[in-house]
Amino acid sequence: MEIGVYWGCMILTSQYAYELSLRAILPKFNISIIDIDGASCCGAPIKNVNQNAAIYLAIRNLALAEKAGISELLVPCNGCYLSFSEALYHWKKDDTLRRELSNLLAEEGLEFNDNINLWHTIDFLHDKVSVEKIKTTVKKPINGLKFVAHPGCHILRPSTIVNVDNPEKPRKLDDLIEALGAESIDYPEKLDCCGGGLLLSHPESALTIAGLKLKAIKNLNVDGLVVSCPSCKIMLGAKQEAAGTIVGEKLQIPVFYYTQLLGLALGIEEKSLGLHLNQSPVDKIIEKLT
Amino acid sequence: MTIVDLMSEAKMNVELRSKVIKKGKYELYNCFQCMRCTSGCTSMKLLELKPHQIVTTVKLGLIDELITSGIIWTCAMCLKCTERCPQDAAPSNLITVLRNLAFDMEANVPEAYLKVVSTVLDVGLIQEEQKVTSRDFEVYDREQLNLPKISKPSETFKNSLLILLTPEEE
Repeated sequence: MEIGVYWGCMILTSQYAYELSLRAILPKFNISIIDIDGASCCGAPIKNVNQNAAIYLAIRNLALAEKAGISELLVPCNGCYLSFSEALYHWKKDDTLRRELSNLLAEEGLEFNDNINLWHTIDFLHDKVSVEKIKTTVKKPINGLKFVAHPGCHILRPSTIVNVDNPEKPRKLDDLIEALGAESIDYPEKLDCCGGGLLLSHPESALTIAGLKLKAIKNLNVDGLVVSCPSCKIMLGAKQEAAGTIVGEKLQIPVFYYTQLLGLALGIEEKSLGLHLNQSPVDKIIEKLT
Repeated sequence: MTIVDLMSEAKMNVELRSKVIKKGKYELYNCFQCMRCTSGCTSMKLLELKPHQIVTTVKLGLIDELITSGIIWTCAMCLKCTERCPQDAAPSNLITVLRNLAFDMEANVPEAYLKVVSTVLDVGLIQEEQKVTSRDFEVYDREQLNLPKISKPSETFKNSLLILLTPEEE
């Protein structure tokens, strides 16, 4: 099958490992990618200053996707996924807004017909590709390793808008980890936020929130942490050392995108998965696996 | 007669309150102060954000005080309050409306948020393409990683975005 991908700002401009690993794993399931030309920011960061402007940006990107002939759209970033889902919700409900935005889209020769199906990576792999299919496609199961899942806020809440199994006890990412042969440990801090939403206004508090979560994970003695959102990956991975300093804890927790872990289990070479770009100490896990 | 807050001598601003309720299509009077939002709030411990108090303060009409105090910018937007609210009064939505109002009134919006807006207007994305460093200190850009070039958005969208970002005249 073919699927459109809206990468969003963070993946396109710095979180290359997520893009590399997604581009590497999808063909293994006979899925090819359609890129969207001229996409912009999804609107999520603009929502803070003007909600309608955010909805416009989201709908504009969806209109571009429709123009490219896309009916199934993969949105790997949690923030973008929620931004699009919310925009669709308002688009369906608010006639005045729909008219206003349609006029603005027409300026660019665009129109939006609401014929698009949104998927976040985790929902797509879990619900569409299926856990069974992943189990049978895996070549090198990662048996004997223990991970914890951090699905990230914006694919879990609000459950009326996103596609979550259980917003207080989400299991999709855990099921996907276990499909690779590893164990996924449940932990009380699973729903705790990464702090990313505060990075702009209160960076120290943002790092403290990340640090407290990582400190709790450290005490679980697991082999690593699995995320599915570029913002969470930055907070818990790239900023791990800084977060550790703030909470007074030496942290050395390997942090993976789920797609990277899946790629390893599919036998894909580590550089094609962008594993050399992870700032957290992932080497010890890769060594165990190869 | 107007209600005056004796601690700050603040007076209720009915006009702004109606604006907030209208703008967010917000169900303000649904809230019965059960504090489920505050008990699970990500920002409560560190930044003393108490979403249920934001709702009360809006009810009292102390909108100017709220949007200039900085408290609305302590929300991490984790949306737990919205998920858990038994009354569909979603404090995070109210905070978004207050943030939007602060932007329209040029009231104490953190610099970093304004910078994001200007970057999106400028390049279409929240930042320019970055070079990244691997764990063994090699520097990479998209090309070196064999990733396709970023296709930038057309200029037309900026105009539309600017129209939407301009506060409506009363």
